Amino acid sequence: MFKKLLLFGFVMVFPLASFAIEDIKAEDIQKESAVQKRLNDVGVSILNSNKIDGRVVFVYDKTEVKEKLKLDKTLVDRQIIVYGYDYKFIEDDNELAAFLSRRIAEAYRSYPGLFKGRLNSLKIKAAPKKYQIIFDKIGVDYMVRSGYNPVAMITLVNKSYPQKRGDSLTNNATSKRLAKIYEHICVKYPYYLVNNEYYNNKNYQNFLLTSQDNRKMLEEKLKNRSRKELNYE
Amino acid sequence: MNKPGTILAALCLFAGLFSGSVFCAEISEPSADNIQEIIRDEIVETILKERDIQKPGVHTVYDYKSTVKIPVKISIKEKIKSENDVYIGQEIKFEVEDNVFYKRKLKIRKGQIVKAKVGLIISSGMNGIPASIVFEDFKIDNVENGKLQNTLEVFGQDRSLIVFPIKWALTILPPTGSLTNFIMGGHARIRQGKTFTIYYHPEWL
Repeated sequence: MFKKLLLFGFVMVFPLASFAIEDIKAEDIQKESAVQKRLNDVGVSILNSNKIDGRVVFVYDKTEVKEKLKLDKTLVDRQIIVYGYDYKFIEDDNELAAFLSRRIAEAYRSYPGLFKGRLNSLKIKAAPKKYQIIFDKIGVDYMVRSGYNPVAMITLVNKSYPQKRGDSLTNNATSKRLAKIYEHICVKYPYYLVNNEYYNNKNYQNFLLTSQDNRKMLEEKLKNRSRKELNYE
Repeated sequence: MNKPGTILAALCLFAGLFSGSVFCAEISEPSADNIQEIIRDEIVETILKERDIQKPGVHTVYDYKSTVKIPVKISIKEKIKSENDVYIGQEIKFEVEDNVFYKRKLKIRKGQIVKAKVGLIISSGMNGIPASIVFEDFKIDNVENGKLQNTLEVFGQDRSLIVFPIKWALTILPPTGSLTNFIMGGHARIRQGKTFTIYYHPEWL
């Protein structure tokens, strides 16, 4: 009798469970497809507004981070992969544009040059620190031309990149990157700082709090009309 | 109910209540006292607000249907000794070298001035990576914004083509290959009158 009851229970519950799993899968696919559509909308509008005449595609990958042995496809395939780890920091379209535009700058840099852009890609790999700052600045330019607020680059970098003890061989200290981005916006697009939509944003306020020394240096530079490159910390 | 069952039930109830109260504490609305103090941005308050600032142009309406693309030869009117000689936002003047016709009508006259701005300065780097200057925001009278190429990047001497093969050839004798890291790229020097080509797309928006 007990065996019959167990069998009956199994027969009744198994199809329900499989339906539930299918529902969850369909829901996941719908969510991923919505994120992918958002990436395409923002990414392609950056490409079009900036007249970027090389193809760049955007892919959402919900896995947490890139596997270490996996090749970065930005320079080779001109494919920008947004991992789940990166996506969870993005709060609005401006921040998504900030993330995508600096990666678009990197991908587009691999188009011109000798050997179908391979030499340029090699240079980027050989000097990652130098190009990290360049792509931040070009990313800001791309954002402005496509109608996004460049201050979002500051809020995104401030909350998503850790602060290491100093410059490493391959990365700049995040505080230095932030200071360079702020200086670029300040010099080229001051409109967005004067009419700052992010002024009351907690991440922007945190940037202001943690960048006081660097901003003081910039303030002196602007007051003295100096053109000297500043050594931010 | 037996004794262990009663204890277990009590524990579950306590855990449920405790986690609920923690969750409530996390999502509760900030009170007026908790609102953060706003930090003033001195650069904005003391420097930027005193300047006459315009909203930068955006290019969100476009139509790239047409394939008509006309090269415009321009020559720079001043000498640039290096990338350190210019600053971001500096206006640089170019001159049109040849007449440009579109549908048998003269669109851009020879000798017309083309204004551009320095948009980005990239200093030279190790491994022979050259410096470069990016000119942007090209403006010609009678030509609408958005119909000209966005940017023009002028590079210094690229020595990376020599550096990388030498570096690889020397990898068998470590650390001599790494010494090639110290070869710097060339400065972005531009002699007066140097000619460049930008593209004019008369039917683009």
